Amino acid sequence: MSSSPANGLSELHQPIRLRTSLFWSLYGVWYRHFRVYTKTFLANATPPLLEPLFFFTAVAIGLGNYVQPGGFEGLSYRTFVASGLVISSAMFTAIFETTFGTFVRLVFQKTYDAMLGTHLRVSEIFVGEMLFAATKGAVFSTVVLLVTMAFGARPNVWCVLVPVVGMLTSYLFASIGLIVTSYVKMINNFSFFTTGVITPLFFFSGTFFPIKGHYVWLDVVSNVLPLTHPIEISRALFEAHFTPATLAHVAALTAYIVVCHVLALRRMTQRVLS
Amino acid sequence: MEDSATHSAPLIIARGLTKQFGELKAVDGVDLDIAPNECVGFLGPNGAGKTTLMRLVFSAIAKTAGELTVFGLTPMEQRKQINAHIGVVFQDNNLDEELNAAECLLVHALYCGLDHRTARRRIAALLDWLSLTAKADSRIRALSGGMVRRLMIARALLNSPKLLILDEPTTGLDPQVRHAIWAALRDLKRQGMTILLTTHYMDEAQQLSDRVLIMDRGRIILSGPPNDLVEAHLERYVLQVSGVPTVPPLDGGIRHEHAGDADYFYAAAEQPLQALHERLAAKYAILRHANLEDVFLKFTGRGFNE
Repeated sequence: MSSSPANGLSELHQPIRLRTSLFWSLYGVWYRHFRVYTKTFLANATPPLLEPLFFFTAVAIGLGNYVQPGGFEGLSYRTFVASGLVISSAMFTAIFETTFGTFVRLVFQKTYDAMLGTHLRVSEIFVGEMLFAATKGAVFSTVVLLVTMAFGARPNVWCVLVPVVGMLTSYLFASIGLIVTSYVKMINNFSFFTTGVITPLFFFSGTFFPIKGHYVWLDVVSNVLPLTHPIEISRALFEAHFTPATLAHVAALTAYIVVCHVLALRRMTQRVLS
Repeated sequence: MEDSATHSAPLIIARGLTKQFGELKAVDGVDLDIAPNECVGFLGPNGAGKTTLMRLVFSAIAKTAGELTVFGLTPMEQRKQINAHIGVVFQDNNLDEELNAAECLLVHALYCGLDHRTARRRIAALLDWLSLTAKADSRIRALSGGMVRRLMIARALLNSPKLLILDEPTTGLDPQVRHAIWAALRDLKRQGMTILLTTHYMDEAQQLSDRVLIMDRGRIILSGPPNDLVEAHLERYVLQVSGVPTVPPLDGGIRHEHAGDADYFYAAAEQPLQALHERLAAKYAILRHANLEDVFLKFTGRGFNE
């Protein structure tokens, strides 16, 4: 080891200022995820971005040819499906981030141990993580929006707010993912959740067809599902058609976020500090 | 140790500190005072509670009972204030494998709350001090075990800690690297760092520690400067042999222990052991000074206690 005390050690004992406030703590955690994710950006981002586009091509463009010519709710079928896919893509990116991703960091990479060795609070560690998921959600819904527009979706100008809805959707599903992860002991357990919960959410929250008005029970179920609300908000933005129901969806989404955020932090604190 | 008033208050105080996981008492009624600038080595078999004790100090787990203060503050409740001044080298290397060496340190520096400019300056200095400058742009996967371990030490020093916690810092490394790491740690100690160290290596404990604590089943069973421990608890010399079918009657002053296929003969003087050595005609025999490992085995037993 070089024993050049002149440079190495004396520099190390310079007094330094540590910014330990909430903002910088969240930034530190967010930056880690950002840096690691963008290091292998193409490998990380390509598959989850291609998937909604496959759905769009197959369903909106392909199957869309057989759908009633007027589309649904005043939107062409392509536009209708696009307004759902911008949100479901935000859901998927967040849910994978905090189920498989969090589990690998927790159990295999021991990433949170490194964070716990610093001043960071457990709540800061996981809010930072959910904020990163929210960032990804905003980016994903923007990209999906632009690509579906290139393929014939025609949203109203209000759609500039779609990334915000995508961001909130991702924050919500990141917290749901953390709650699930806090109970999971083996990584294969997640397949129950993805197949049993996420897939039905994707199909029964109004992405591909309007849920309303077929069966009463389906209306009820769909309104309980967390993905329904951001999709309805997105759809309202797409058609610039705002009703009291839109406000109710905003309220429901907010309530979901608050409750899941609190539960996620409580559960992960228990899991990590034991 | 200095005796000035500012330096005499212990950095860490534990009284009856206990951590229970279900039925298992991982740490069981530990009393402890760590003085500033002290280097304390924790020895003990696997599962003795060393790592759990360290995790209590940096608020990675909550205690079950007893008292613990660090820098006069209460862990868990004041983890932010405490951990701002602690650096931890974990037993498992947990650097982000996707990143290169300098990026790993940058990410960690930001956890600690350094701004980008200070972070870059300190990263350069630390890499230089640990002879890793040439590897700044290398992926973690491309580094040798010794380099990764030094990087873990560099990472723990980014926030300029007052207390450094090292959980088995040199396990699995070759002798060159171990000696280099010890030299670096002694450097830090000279600069006034307080160090807690867990290890399975007696030579590591002896090389670095002012004081050694031997733990077993969650308790501290022995404590003192390494050489004093050997002197206080063992005869000065030991003859270690294996493959001797029958042990002849021994002179007074020679103590005998048998474990597996090995026999240990302890005596205060070298001469009677020398004589015994010649009489035994063992396949393998070595006459040496008793050391910390002998003390360790005497107190924690020679069988597996897993």
